[in-house]
Amino acid sequence: MAARILALVGDCYGARGGIARYNQDLFEALAEGGTEIVILPRLGDAAGLALPQGVVQKSAIFSRLGFSLAAFGAAWRHRPIDVVFCGHVFMAPLAFAIARLLGARYWLQAHGTDVWKDRRAMARRMIERADLVSVVSRETRRILLAWVDLPPERARVLPDTVQDVFTPGQPPEGLRERLQLGRGPILLTVGRLAASERYKGHEAVFSVLGALRENHPDLVHVVAGDGDDRQRLEAAAAVLAPAGAVRFLGYVPDAELPDLYRQADLYVMPSTEEGFGIVYLEAAACGLRVVGGKGGGTADAIPDRVGVIVDPADRAALAAAILGELGKGRADPAAVEPYRRRHFAAAARALLARLLTQPRRIRSGI
Amino acid sequence: MCGIAGIHAYLDVSPRVDRGEIVRMNDRMKARGPDGSGLWVSDDGRTGFGHLRLAIIDLSEGGAQPMHASDGRLTITFNGEIYNYRELKADLQSKGRRFRSESDTEVLLQLYDEYGADMVRRLRGMFAFGLWDAGKRTLLLARDPLGIKPLYWADDGWTVRFASQAKALLAGGAVPRDPDPAGIVGFHLFGSVPEPFTVWRSIHTLPAGTTLTVDATGPGTPQPYYDVAAALTERATRASNGDARVQLAEAVRDSVRHHLVADVPVAVFLSAGLDSGALLGTMAGLGVRDITAVTLAFAEFKGLAQDEAPLAAEVAARYGARQIVRTVDRAEFERDLPALLDAMDLPTIDGINTWFVAKAAREAGIKVALSGLGADECFGGYPSFTDVPRSVHWLRPMSWLPGLGVLARHGLSAARAAGLGLHPKAPGVLQYGGDWAGAYLLRRGVYMPWELDEVLDRELVEEGLRRLAPLSRIAAALQAGAPLGDFDRVAALETALYMRNQLLRDADWAGMSHSIEIRVPYVDPFFLAALPPGEALAAMNAKDAVADVPPQPLPDSIRHRPKTGFSTPVGRWLREAAGTPSSGIDFSAASRDWALSVWRAGWAGPAAA
Repeated sequence: MAARILALVGDCYGARGGIARYNQDLFEALAEGGTEIVILPRLGDAAGLALPQGVVQKSAIFSRLGFSLAAFGAAWRHRPIDVVFCGHVFMAPLAFAIARLLGARYWLQAHGTDVWKDRRAMARRMIERADLVSVVSRETRRILLAWVDLPPERARVLPDTVQDVFTPGQPPEGLRERLQLGRGPILLTVGRLAASERYKGHEAVFSVLGALRENHPDLVHVVAGDGDDRQRLEAAAAVLAPAGAVRFLGYVPDAELPDLYRQADLYVMPSTEEGFGIVYLEAAACGLRVVGGKGGGTADAIPDRVGVIVDPADRAALAAAILGELGKGRADPAAVEPYRRRHFAAAARALLARLLTQPRRIRSGI
Repeated sequence: MCGIAGIHAYLDVSPRVDRGEIVRMNDRMKARGPDGSGLWVSDDGRTGFGHLRLAIIDLSEGGAQPMHASDGRLTITFNGEIYNYRELKADLQSKGRRFRSESDTEVLLQLYDEYGADMVRRLRGMFAFGLWDAGKRTLLLARDPLGIKPLYWADDGWTVRFASQAKALLAGGAVPRDPDPAGIVGFHLFGSVPEPFTVWRSIHTLPAGTTLTVDATGPGTPQPYYDVAAALTERATRASNGDARVQLAEAVRDSVRHHLVADVPVAVFLSAGLDSGALLGTMAGLGVRDITAVTLAFAEFKGLAQDEAPLAAEVAARYGARQIVRTVDRAEFERDLPALLDAMDLPTIDGINTWFVAKAAREAGIKVALSGLGADECFGGYPSFTDVPRSVHWLRPMSWLPGLGVLARHGLSAARAAGLGLHPKAPGVLQYGGDWAGAYLLRRGVYMPWELDEVLDRELVEEGLRRLAPLSRIAAALQAGAPLGDFDRVAALETALYMRNQLLRDADWAGMSHSIEIRVPYVDPFFLAALPPGEALAAMNAKDAVADVPPQPLPDSIRHRPKTGFSTPVGRWLREAAGTPSSGIDFSAASRDWALSVWRAGWAGPAAA
């Protein structure tokens, strides 16, 4: 009989962002393996979307109480449930309670800052009770195991996967002109410009552009993305970088990203707190070399052959890394192959199979 | 006997194995295997093993490792000795299997091919190995039932690494050094780091009697296949067959005979105790000739009751052994201390004696020696065999009064602080002494839980105690299903905790530092099972009865030697070095001094490995 998963998540289908994307990739991989998945999101509307066979997404409920009641209701209607999947540690008490009630296994997914910073005793207890905790990077796992008493074999890493649309290729005719990027090398950074995510290292790049332009007078730094920190960053660019050296593109739709990567010469994002940093892989998959920042899960998203990691506080090192990588030309997209869907799907299904071979909780009920 | 190391990149995204890392791990353990080294990396670059060889069985190249079998499908890197390998080999040959070498390593490979991971149950010996099955794409890590040979592992979520020594994993360069409060607190409580912890968060001990299988999802749950308490329960329920003394003698003879399997001469570490004397006498009784016996003496003890050399000489003479007496003084201790601390794989308050006796053996050209380690655990030689049950029986009624123990501890601590000459552990007697785990902790503890704040950071202590859960960890050693008798309870505690975490681990690093294989005939599940039940051992006073095991019994002088207890002058040396000479030797205080100076050698710092 196919396994059935009840997934309590922040968002999934019909939502934007890295975590929603990850959840979709995961559920699609599991559904392909014959697993049934009932998704209960707090945000996002899947109405009208074609979901993979075996996947059902309920209407989003944002209120905590409503969500909790709906979760119990769904658990009861769809029983037997083999696994309760919890997409965020703040919903862990609910997931644990339902899993306990149904005698199901309890699978907790952590992404990064959610388990780096929330170190309350309650969160710790809820993580310790999980049958499986999957995380996206080795660094997140290391940080998690430093404060949570979890048997190491129960904390597994399932890295993000890179979408098939990201491949090397020629940029479309006229893109450079349309975006008014001039003739020089293009450094690219893609990401939300959120005041809550100031660790991405934009300003560090702005501050070395002057030095870089000594070698490449026409070099530009293209910033894709929008958010509540944009104004502040634009002001910072005006102060830190030579005039005209930074181009803010605003929000770029997903469909246009591959061409943007293909047009650029180097992906630069010296971020210090990425949970994983899928953008590095997307850039590399399009043939871009990458300069990433020291800290967080970045190391897991930059395969050895495609780039370097620097400490953005060391501006000289950052400038040297950018110059060095620019001189190396395109990256070998084969380095990204292990992150492609085929590998991700196999790893995800193996993880579920492993969880299902563990005995159900002996004590079920309240 | 050897050193092993390995790396397996189990996730597709994980980078290929770095040969340099295996070389660095091997280099850190060089003393474990001076007779050769090997390195193997699979064709796909995802699995690699290192091996250092101390050649003892099949000295030819046929015994070289890592070794392959079944057309390269199976590869092993193995540390240890399989004493029943000839029987196992004959059994496999009768099933039509063919062998290429005379080594016990090849037997392991074929045995795995025949029985899978369950093969560990058939092995009599000491072992730790990593076995790669390219067909199933699984890595099997395994360790002997009682924990004679060490095995450490680390998993970063992409790649798993293992080695005979924790410091070798660090030396590889890819394993972080974050400190583990549980291991650090464990060391200060027990004087050694309890399994499965080390003092580094990323490095785990594979517990004794456990296997661990790594597949495409990474390491699975460690699977125990042997439990001391369960084995003692089974022994207790078996019908006794005849005279217990005869049974004891037969068991010792059989174990010593098995432990003599080697293609090089086997020596013996001889003290003035009955246990090592019985080993020598049994060897002689089995017809072994030209035995070398190594005895350790301390210059400070010359002419005192603690000097073991004269009585050991008498024993050696009785069995016609060549005795080497090696005298150590403070100057040599101080000279060796940096090397000793460097070789010490995890912090411990013991291992000094073994360091010097192994050093002496090495100087005498010896490669293998039998040791009496483990006899006290199975024959009831420690004071704990009387103290712990007495404490539990007397104090248990008190523990029914909630809060009384804690109250008493606070009161007595205050009295002690006010200058009352109480033993530092005394305040906890009422609180801890009434149950088995607590009484054992009182007996064996270096520091008590309530004292840790004095020597360690408060937050670290809190976190460490939470993760370590010392009392439930001790109690777990007694969970066997059926209740055990008093003797077997203490035997189970001492065997599964003190012997495993302290004595055996120390014997390994201290012996291997001098390229000496220490064999322990009293540490053997087959031997343990062949002994009479615990109650019979207690009734016959097994710790003395062992004197009659050899066909020619031990001399009377050694039987009547007053008990001096275990002692080295280390405490005194340390105090003298610090300018505060002390009159007597207070073992408890000495071990605290020593524990602190070991810890201050810098385990969590960047220079740790």
